[in-house]
Order: sequence, then C-alpha cells, then structure tokens
Amino acid sequence: MKITLIISFLAVASLVPAQETPAATKALKISAEIPKQPMPQILKDNSKLPHVVLMSMGGTIAARAADRMNLTEYGSGPRVEPQDWLDELPELANIARVTTDDMRSPKGRHDGGETAEDMRNVAKRLNELAKDPGIDGFVVTHGTNTMAEVAYYMTLTVNTDKPIVFVGSQRPWSGISGDGPINLYNAVRVAASPLARGKGVLQCMNYDIHTARDVTKTNAYRVQTFKSIDLGPIGFADPDKVVFYTEPRRKHTTQSAFAGMDFETLPPVEVFYAYSDAPGYLIDAAVEHGVKGIVVDGTGAGNPTGSENEALTKAQAKGVIVVITTRTRGGRVQETKRRLDRGIINGDNLPPEKARLLLQLALTKTSNWKEIKKYFDEY
Amino acid sequence: MTYFKICNSKILATFTLLAAVIVGRPSVSMGAESTPGLPKVKVFTTGGTIQGAGPARNEVANYRGDGSMVTGKMILDDIPEVKKIADVSLEETAAVASANTKILIELANHISEWLQRPDTSGAVVTHGTATMEETAYFLNLTVRSDKPVVVVGAMRPFMAISRDGPLNLYNAIRVAADPEARDLGVMVLLNDEIHASRDVTKTNTVRVSTFVSRDLGPLGFADSDRIVLYRKLLYRHTHKSEFDVSKMTDLPKVDIVYGYQEGGRAAVDAFIADGAKGIVLVDGGAGGGAIEDGRKKGVVFVQSDRKGSGRVMEGPRSAARGVVTADNLNGQKARDLLRLALSKTTDIKEIQRIFDEY
Repeated sequence: MKITLIISFLAVASLVPAQETPAATKALKISAEIPKQPMPQILKDNSKLPHVVLMSMGGTIAARAADRMNLTEYGSGPRVEPQDWLDELPELANIARVTTDDMRSPKGRHDGGETAEDMRNVAKRLNELAKDPGIDGFVVTHGTNTMAEVAYYMTLTVNTDKPIVFVGSQRPWSGISGDGPINLYNAVRVAASPLARGKGVLQCMNYDIHTARDVTKTNAYRVQTFKSIDLGPIGFADPDKVVFYTEPRRKHTTQSAFAGMDFETLPPVEVFYAYSDAPGYLIDAAVEHGVKGIVVDGTGAGNPTGSENEALTKAQAKGVIVVITTRTRGGRVQETKRRLDRGIINGDNLPPEKARLLLQLALTKTSNWKEIKKYFDEY
Repeated sequence: MTYFKICNSKILATFTLLAAVIVGRPSVSMGAESTPGLPKVKVFTTGGTIQGAGPARNEVANYRGDGSMVTGKMILDDIPEVKKIADVSLEETAAVASANTKILIELANHISEWLQRPDTSGAVVTHGTATMEETAYFLNLTVRSDKPVVVVGAMRPFMAISRDGPLNLYNAIRVAADPEARDLGVMVLLNDEIHASRDVTKTNTVRVSTFVSRDLGPLGFADSDRIVLYRKLLYRHTHKSEFDVSKMTDLPKVDIVYGYQEGGRAAVDAFIADGAKGIVLVDGGAGGGAIEDGRKKGVVFVQSDRKGSGRVMEGPRSAARGVVTADNLNGQKARDLLRLALSKTTDIKEIQRIFDEY
C-alpha cells in the first residue's frame, strides 16, 4: 500500500505544473497513510427533518454475493434487509427521518419473478401511505430490469403529489465499487426535497433525475444505464444540491384518470416484436388466448412486418385494440391517416412495455379505440 | 432551379448589397399574401446560413467566401405553405453571420414590442447557427412576453442540395403560432427538435443534428402530425426575467478565458486592461494570481466548465475565491448572463443568486 502511495505521489508531483499561486500549492497535502475519517456526525434531534419511507421491492441494490468481485450472479448471498441500508448509511439520518417498508417478493423466487400482483400491491400500499400526513416522500428500491415500467405504472395509479423516487443499482450491495450506496443516498435526498413534489414518479441513479414516463434502461451493466432517450433528465441530485430544470407536462399521479385506483386484475395485453418477415401466428395465438389488446413494437416509424398486419386486422375484427410503438427507442410513432383509417393507435414515444401498461389501464375504462388513443396522446 | 438562376445573376449582387445595409430596416408586410384570421407571427431575419447563397448547390461548407446572402423575404417566399398556418409578417433586422450587442438589444426590444401587441401570437428569429445559442439565450433573458419565440437556422445554405432551412423555418413558424408553446421562453428549433435556449448548444460543425441539449434533452418535437411538448421550465426566463434592455444601448464588457494545462494570467490581465468588467473562466482558467488581482479591481469572475456537460458545483472553494459558479451554463451563455447581471450589480452574492435562478 505504501509503495503504491509513493508511486502515485511521484506521478502526481510530476504532473502538477510549477504554479506561483500560493492557493494551489497549499491545497496539495499528501498523506503517506490512509487518513482516518471521523465517523459521520449524526443530528441529535432530527424531528424537524422530512419523513421518508424507504420501501424495498428488492433488486440488485438489495442483493449480496459471497465474493465482492462477483458483479453478475449475486443471488447466493443473504438478501439486504431494509434496516441494513440504514445501518450502513447512517448519514441518511441527517437528510430525513427514514423508516422502512418491506414489499419484496417472497424469498427464493427466481430472477424476474416479480408478478403483476406484486406491482399492484405496491401501488395499493403507496396509495395508503401517501394519505398519511406524517409522511413526506418515498424511495422505492427495485431491480433495474423492469424498474422503468413499474415506476410508470405507479405514476399512472398513485394519487399523490409527494415525491416517489425509484432507485436501484447496477452492482450488488456487496460488490466492489458498488453504486448502491450513493444512489440510495441521493434518492433519499430527492424524496426529502420539497422541489421534487408534483413531478410524478421519479427515478434517480447516477445523479440523474428522470421522469417515470421517459426513462428506460439502455445498458446491461454500466452505471449510466438509465436514460430518457428522447427527452433527457429533468434534474440532478448533485453533490452540492438537488436541482430541477424542467417538469413533465403529460398527465401523471394526481391528474391521472387511474389515480388511487386498485385493480384486482388487468385486461390481458401482449407485446409483439417486428422484424423482417415476422409471422402473424403468434398474434393469432394471443387472440385465441383472449387478449384484449396488442402492442406491436414496429420497425422504423412504427410498422408491423410480414404477416403481422393480416393478423392485426383479424384481431381488430374481434374487438382487440392495437397500439404501435417503435423498436428504434427514439422518436415518436406519429398519428397518420393510414393508421387512423385502420383504427390503429400511435404509441407516441412510449416503449412497448410502458404502452402495454397504459393500454391495460385504458381498457379498464373503455374499449373504444378513439377514447384509448386520447390516453396515448395525454399520458 | 429558378432561384439558382436568379441568384447567380446580377440580382444576387443587388441583394448582397442590400443585405449589407438593411440593418434596422422597418417591417415589411407580406401584404396580400398574408392570411388574416390566423395566428400573427413575425419573422425577424438576421442573416446566417439560412440566408446564405453559395456559389454552387453542392457547396455546403465554403459558401461564405463571397459573403452572398438572399433576403429574408426570399426565404419566406420559399415556403408559401406557411400561409395556411399563420399570418406571417417580416422584419429584416440584420444580415450578418453573427450578431453583435447592438443587434441583440434591438432584436430583443423589437420582439418585445411585437409580442406585447394583444393581437400577436409569436415570433421567429432566423440566425446563423454558430452563435445562435447565445443570441437565443440573450433573448430568453430579455424579451418581455410569455408568447413563443423560436430561433431557427440552417446547416446548409439556401441553394444547397438537401437544404434543411425550409423545413426548419416552416416548423419554427408552426411552433410560434402554437399557444401550447407559451411560457417556454425562447426556443431553438432545427432538425424537428424543440430545445430550451438555456440548455441547447451546437455540437457538430456540419451535421443537421448539430443542436443538442446535452444535460437535459429537448422540450419536445415539431413532428408532422403535431407539435408535441413534454416539459415545463422551472427556471426564470422572458416574462419572469428581471432584466430590462428597453433603455439600453450597450452592456458591460465580459470576456471568456479558456482553461488548459499551465494556463497563465496573460489573457485575464489583457482583457481587464481592455476594460472587461467580468471574466468567464471556462474550466480553471487563469493562474498566477490573476483572479485575486482582478477581484481587487472589482472584476467579477464566473466559473464555467469546458466539458460541455454537468454543473459546476457550489462549494467552499469557489466561495472563498469570490468566484461565481455558472451551474451548467457554458462559457458563452454564462457571458450573456454575466453581462446582464453586471448591468444591475457587482455584488458577488447577488450575481450568484442570478446564476442560480436563470
């Protein structure tokens, strides 16, 4: 360790140009040993701080492996209990009065085992807790893979203007250079900020604050995976402050037609991918199976391919609603005369997994495609 | 092809001559061609590539050699389709590659006057792309109206193949005529994307996709089916701005110093000797005690950054040096804001407040 420090000292010393500025030379104090950092000072009285509920839906941020170099298959270690986060990040107590709420799927369920029922239960729980005047904001941890669509479901169904911030990590809680702690710390800062109110459900990792509607996971492993591809973030949880520059115009939370609603089941809607000469028989099978809606993730400007088109026309004749998104993941599927003539809904710039949830919710209100199209224009 | 022939004849020479002298030329109505009853939009032209007339239609880079420009009227006449969406009038404010302070102030005041008329809907400014972002941000700080103002340009000159100007101008007029686009400050529109002037920057020398809001992304899109807007702004601009240039003819001098390894104090000293009241440091900037000495003379320093993305953090170090942090404004926009701030105060705390709010 000491040798490394000496080498890095030499490297730094040779890079720093000869400066006459006294301030610049004064600032460089190089320690030959790892300096002792004092334990974080924690406020004695935090009764005036905002109350943030830290809700666990699990995820990589709640996962441990036996080996800290294991960044990919970390199901083996003991799960991180919600209280463990508070114990390992005592600094949170200086930002908010954080209490925990455990909404994880049952232990031992396989990866991606979260069910639609789990998601609806969390919406129900958030709706209940949001009514409590003693609570100021929420942080919800979640696995990153389906975080964006679950957050979007919450922004459509939870009736509150209190901040709800989804957070996760790309590396497990036990991983080397884990991004979990700083992401969690920043998410609590955002949830505790009055600036974050009324902006719908938010997502915050890697300092960026995104809207639930616009954010999507864009990379399998990198810590900068979450992007709002078309629109960008609305603010940042930067080291000096939480800052917002814009807020969404599309309907969410308190303005949503589904706000505060609890659904025991949702109408079945399935997603089909378009590719060169994609077959229609998968769509036929889904219709046979009783789907009420179909989302086709079309090519380019939003086109089903191959025999998908014939299958869609047959499905529509049976009353199935069709929404088109684009697999390009950037840009809107536009309203065109051709789509209007065919009674096909343009999915704007929602990815198919979010278009599916909006279509499921819209189908609880109406099966009129023109009415449903309005939801896609406004949400 | 008709334009090509006309513009390469003597008429182009006349236009060029006119273009050089039309600064401050009064409004030109499109007369019988305008469409009463539709939203009233005025187009203020200032020159730039959108009015550039190159020597050949495949010449998309070296078209400034002879300085030829077509008139503002010609670029509007080129898109008669706008008559279906707006009642368009024209003011040829300038014909330059890049605006100066006099043009900026005049432009801001003319736009304010136009938009303060109760019967008007919006304004469009055509501008060269190189300094478009700073003109747009200046207008964002000084135009006194919540009606849409859209700054637009082109990457390819007026007569080039695959020129982007006509569609950009058409879309800019659509946005300016759209009441949904109110309270978004001054916007920049090229390549179908609607950007906030505060956040947009030019990122490429020749591509049509050059304008990007690196940190925050666009506000919406001018797509074929509709103008779609996804964001509201939370910072101060236009009708919420404290800056009033209606009585001004000039602004305090502010210069920009770029930071690099072993950057010395010469540039800062020279700018101050030349009368600079403020200096924007783009990443580090000046060594050798230049900042300390400048502060003693009352010069205000603002710390921006050369990375092009991310905020300059506020912290004890910048506060102790008496340096204002620029948030995520780039150097040229921090200069716009500092000039206006210095027209009101030289108090560091007050100027930091201004940088936190705009």
